[in-house]
Amino acid sequence: MRPYGGVRGATGRRENIRLYLTVPEPSPTHETAALIALLRRGDRAWHHYAEIVEARGSALAVLEEGAPDELDAPTLFPKAEGEDVDLEAIIAEIDRWRTDGISVLSVLDERYPQNLRSIHDRPPLLFVRGALADADERSVAVVGTRRATDAGIDHAREVAGGLVDAGYTVISGLATGIDTAAHLGALDRGGRTLAVIGTGLRRAYPAANAPLQQRIAGEAAVVSQFWPDAPPSKRTFPMRNVVMSGLARATVIIEASHTSGARMQARFALEHGRPVFLLASLLEHDWAREHAERPGTYVVEDAGEIVDHVERLLAADTLTV
Amino acid sequence: MSPAPTVAELSAPYTNFLINPLAPSSHGVCSVCLTFTDGHATCYPCGHRPRFADGVLPISYSEAFGQLHTALAQYKRRTGPSAHALQLQLAAVLWRFLVDHEDCLARCAQVERFQLVTTVPSGDHARDAAHPLPRIVGELVGHTADRYRRLLVRSGTPVGERAVDPGKFSPTQELASEAVLLVDDTWTTGASAQSAAGALKTSGAGKVAVLVIGRHVNPKWGDNAERLRALARGFDWDRCAVHAADAAR
Repeated sequence: MRPYGGVRGATGRRENIRLYLTVPEPSPTHETAALIALLRRGDRAWHHYAEIVEARGSALAVLEEGAPDELDAPTLFPKAEGEDVDLEAIIAEIDRWRTDGISVLSVLDERYPQNLRSIHDRPPLLFVRGALADADERSVAVVGTRRATDAGIDHAREVAGGLVDAGYTVISGLATGIDTAAHLGALDRGGRTLAVIGTGLRRAYPAANAPLQQRIAGEAAVVSQFWPDAPPSKRTFPMRNVVMSGLARATVIIEASHTSGARMQARFALEHGRPVFLLASLLEHDWAREHAERPGTYVVEDAGEIVDHVERLLAADTLTV
Repeated sequence: MSPAPTVAELSAPYTNFLINPLAPSSHGVCSVCLTFTDGHATCYPCGHRPRFADGVLPISYSEAFGQLHTALAQYKRRTGPSAHALQLQLAAVLWRFLVDHEDCLARCAQVERFQLVTTVPSGDHARDAAHPLPRIVGELVGHTADRYRRLLVRSGTPVGERAVDPGKFSPTQELASEAVLLVDDTWTTGASAQSAAGALKTSGAGKVAVLVIGRHVNPKWGDNAERLRALARGFDWDRCAVHAADAAR
């Protein structure tokens, strides 16, 4: 092995980084490995690395040079003194994931989902089991409570089916209740559905949904922003809601109490500049009546209305006052 | 085919994260570009480099790694439906703001109105032709489309990225003292916008005022994070920094 780059220190900051590579020309996989090395430093929020690396166009360059001034914290001392980065070991890890049917997309990858690129808290890496399609850019997230009523389940299936009929991919979170109904509603209508999960891809939570997870991976894709072996936790589920909002052009809340993660997703979507649709039946809840007043929120009865709004808002060619 | 969306509707979700800038006369605010200072009347770049613009008005602060920062980066990195949606939303934000506040900026620059509107050319020469900002200001935003001209191109002259130098840009035509509204997406140090304002004046423009969507603020510097947090959430479309200055007087 030979050190790659190494003592370049263009900014005088990272003169002690040694990157070990066995090839003369770094490949896209080397870029992914360099991004993984940056994330494992644990010195910055992950989404900061997403922007820094995409703005610079190279994770290898960020490893060597650090972040540009306008995104960096002022510092008097070189960071990561004497850091050794063994990219080949990380590449071996990526290969083991691949053998297991898991591919990893980074923000430097052209196949990284376009909708997801434009949210501020996007994950720098996205793990995928199955295959994402260009058509998935035309997508709506359909989410709701785990403790769904029969009426809620029916609504979720109808809305998902209606979206599929209009050529949309249905995105949901593979939880019990509304999420499961949304996935099944899309599959039953022969449409595409993506599952965004709150654990690593080698896990299934809840265990009862393992077969559905497998089915969705076979027909479309299951995605996760977490390392493949990551367990579920209180923090991972709301983080997964952020990604669901980001992957979709809009979010529909079918049924949710004020403590539901779906309610959180309604807030995330607005903070992402994306429209939020509340099913009219939600208005029995105080939180929903309050949320309905927020700019960018629509109260709707069915999938047809959602499709009309999304087409008008996001695919127009002209604007008017 | 559904009817064209209104700018109010399309810009509505942005109300949730745009941040009204403080008045230029506030203590600890740069009187030129409205960034936070440690008590000085101007920030370092505005105080120490040539200033050609007769007025600068940011629509919002843009916190590093925040949603506006991300939108302003991604709308021009790629093409496709997702980038198109962002471009539409940013056009709506610009249009909605200009309808109410172009006059404020004109007042600030001491002109009746802006006869011409143009954009700061991209820093990246290769990307300039495909840059979406001219299309946004020159086509999508009905309020500026009729007055839009591509008045500047990037010159070949090598100039430091942070240097203010009108030689960065070449004028495409001679002007006859027209007042020009110069639009850019982001103001970081102001080097591009000030250089472009200087280039316009070299070509014969009268007053030149700059409108930017986001005034970049790095929360890692000084007490910026705290000061951003202290600002009111929920963007007020009726307010701009000129209004804030009038109110402060």
